[in-house]
Amino acid sequence: MPKKMVCYCQDLTEDDLIRAIEEGYDHIETLKRFTGAFMGPCQGKMCAVNLLKLFAHKTGRCIEELRVPTMRPPVEPIPLGWLATENAREKDEEEL
Amino acid sequence: MKKNYDVVIIGGGVQGLSLAYNLARGGLHSVAVLDKCYPGSGASGRNGEMIRSAFGSREWIRLFDRSLQMWETLSRDLDFNVMFTRCGYLVLASTAEEFSLCQTNIKRQNEFSLRCRLVDATAVTDLIPALNPRLVFGGIFQKNGGIARHDAVVWAYARAARRLKVDILPATGAVDVMVESGKIAGVKTTQGDIETRILVNAAGAHAKQVADMAGVELPLEIFRLEMIVTEPLKPFLPVALSAPHIMGYMHQTARGEFAGGAEPENLSPYTGLKSTREATQDMARKFVLLFPGMYSAKLMRQWAGVVSKTPDRGPLLGVVEEVEGFLLNAGWGGYGFMGSPAGGKLMAELIINGKAPAEIRPFSLTRFATGDLITEPTIIGLAEDSAKQKAWK
Repeated sequence: MPKKMVCYCQDLTEDDLIRAIEEGYDHIETLKRFTGAFMGPCQGKMCAVNLLKLFAHKTGRCIEELRVPTMRPPVEPIPLGWLATENAREKDEEEL
Repeated sequence: MKKNYDVVIIGGGVQGLSLAYNLARGGLHSVAVLDKCYPGSGASGRNGEMIRSAFGSREWIRLFDRSLQMWETLSRDLDFNVMFTRCGYLVLASTAEEFSLCQTNIKRQNEFSLRCRLVDATAVTDLIPALNPRLVFGGIFQKNGGIARHDAVVWAYARAARRLKVDILPATGAVDVMVESGKIAGVKTTQGDIETRILVNAAGAHAKQVADMAGVELPLEIFRLEMIVTEPLKPFLPVALSAPHIMGYMHQTARGEFAGGAEPENLSPYTGLKSTREATQDMARKFVLLFPGMYSAKLMRQWAGVVSKTPDRGPLLGVVEEVEGFLLNAGWGGYGFMGSPAGGKLMAELIINGKAPAEIRPFSLTRFATGDLITEPTIIGLAEDSAKQKAWK
């Protein structure tokens, strides 16, 4: 049977997630932490809807009622250098 | 939830869970752990995951080396892979002054036969070629220090405790502490009242609030830390690294992500869990300075955590003399994760035997009344706190 991919960043299939929920990681936050879903380079942008749907179905809850893990900055991964340089420029300006 | 327990622990973080597990192993099975959210939702799942015993004071070395030894066998003891990696821990010295502090500390570490050695700039650069040579003067390398997976440690203790009949109660917040004639009588929670004669405050950042419920004032304040994690990178950081010069600590995860935090020079009074732009930029600037190659590394996510700190930054461990049956396992600052195996074990020994083990005795609350504060020289940012420390004497 073909694998059903849910999270592309961490390579998680539907089976992986169902197994994790059955093992007791049945809070969306603990499932996130156990599997790494929502925490890869896409930060949930590719997987969130499918994952929440699967989670709601498996735990017998309504998708609207689910807590969604906090979105963390940045929205898109950005090079540290951009942030570092901007800060450095501000500092230089302060000193002038 | 039962109506009464022998011991109730407020706080389902890694310290509270370790204590519950160790109590149950010691034969006390009527134990409950309350958490107002879910176990590990606080600092236990937000910290830097780093482990060492290379400190500079006898008190800290004794306590944390006991813990470090327990990390070695923790996965086996708890029957759960906590991913402890004995990759080594480097305290980087970036200036001659910082190196001279290392020279003082290594003498104390040698007294305890820690597996630490003083390393020069060449040795540091050989170990981590990616470091900016301008910030490399030398350091102390602890060979048996390392990292572990923070969430896994929480789950490991929780599962091991449950197997020994401990009740772990999520979404159960403490509302009030019942004290009768100077003795603990129970705790009111959001899910109802529980009777107990022994109550342990392991509430992390909220420990001061919990003590207030029992009418006890603790010398604690909330201390907020932020961390970042980058997209996975090729292996370049083979050890756990702390860099006092930038007030930073960091490691590379098994997935290759660089995870690190740095304390800003000016701590903001904000104590919430939202990330701040100031801290992000401060960390970006510091990490790019330390590792010039990280200029193009992509920041993936950023988060914050809160802990409690005492004026001397050491934890509060042991009984509260004014209220019989009230105990503290709190105020660990940023060190509660690495101290969790020993913290829980030693506090359990105190509860079971009625006598405080030598490792935790110096960390009693009474030290702030008697002025027997512990001077730990390796703590970042302690100098700025010294004014407050005097106020508590």
